[in-house]
Amino acid sequence: MEPAEVEFLAEKELVTIVPNFSLDRIHLIGGDLGPFNPGLPVEVPVWLAINLKQRQKCRLIPPEWMDVGKLEEIRDQERKEDTFTPMPSPYYMELTKLLLNYASDNIPRADEIRTLVKDTWDTRMAKLRLSADSFVRQQEAHAKLDNLTLMEINSTGTFLTQALDHMYKLRTNLQPGEGSHSQEF
Amino acid sequence: MAGAMAAAAGGDSDGESEELVLTPAQLIHSLEQAWLNEKFAPELLESKPEIIECVVEQLDHMEANLKRAKKGDLKVSVHHMEIERIRFVLSSYLRCRLVKIEKFFPHILEKEKSRAEGEPSILSPEEFAFAKEYMANTETYLKNVALKHMPPNLQKVSLLKSVPKPNLDSFVFLRVLERQENILVEPETDEQREYTIDLEEGSQHLIRYRTVAPLVASGAVQLI
Repeated sequence: MEPAEVEFLAEKELVTIVPNFSLDRIHLIGGDLGPFNPGLPVEVPVWLAINLKQRQKCRLIPPEWMDVGKLEEIRDQERKEDTFTPMPSPYYMELTKLLLNYASDNIPRADEIRTLVKDTWDTRMAKLRLSADSFVRQQEAHAKLDNLTLMEINSTGTFLTQALDHMYKLRTNLQPGEGSHSQEF
Repeated sequence: MAGAMAAAAGGDSDGESEELVLTPAQLIHSLEQAWLNEKFAPELLESKPEIIECVVEQLDHMEANLKRAKKGDLKVSVHHMEIERIRFVLSSYLRCRLVKIEKFFPHILEKEKSRAEGEPSILSPEEFAFAKEYMANTETYLKNVALKHMPPNLQKVSLLKSVPKPNLDSFVFLRVLERQENILVEPETDEQREYTIDLEEGSQHLIRYRTVAPLVASGAVQLI
């Protein structure tokens, strides 16, 4: 799946905004939103929050986890453990990117948050590459991937599954013996 | 099979939307699930005519309402944005199915031929017409461009043999929606043994499509 499509799914997550206009409940196909009153926080999907923000119709309240202290903890935890730690949101990377791009003026210490999330992401991707490597080497038929987010799976997923398919083809069709097919991985 | 098609009951009769147990929000959700499954599954999955029909109905209904509303209203623009998003998922889903039909058409039509009476079709009527036409056009094209210039004994080509089959052994990622026990994992190499695993609700796995294909069809797991 394209990263843009993962981002599309992430845009359905809810965030809190403080509108500066008033509007009755909106009855969307996907559920009701609002009512909107100036100064009163209300939950909306990210796609709407960003649109309203771009039209300067609201102030955005960052999600609870988007905070330097909390993210430092998460990053350190991720570095300490060998396995993947649970992330505060299944779309942490996409949300960080979206919210920081469009509403960085509403998020305190935005640059530090960006770096922290990037660090966490890098650590996780390194782990993912390592485990993909051992998965291929040991020729496993099944792996459990709890706590991995959709974006992480999709950034290596296509490549990994295609590689596995090729290896499977090579093994079942032609070569009975053990080849050196995992070396290039 | 039964679980995923709770909505199927209303498919053929009239007045579908009343018979469906789904709320519009759940409907959109099941469209998105079908979209993701279709995107990641190597083969063409069963078509979901009742979902498509209801989504289109919802969109038409909403658009008709919006025509009556006054322009420039903030509310109207929010509705438009939502419609665009749903339409994107819908067309991406349908396009994805068409790509698969173009890729595997002889096998899909063959499966359709051997389908037992009463068994649901994996193609919608429109998709079936498309597949048949695509098959006929491909055959005509091959004949006109190359085959008729060949020696008579080489003028036949079997599309069924020359078009690759979907690779059901490919690996897929999935998330478990309903707990499953004793899934048999076949060994990769001769030295390994087969073993069984349990799929806990909410857990994520990387596994061969063939192993979980029935679970994808029943809606117990979601491909990701």
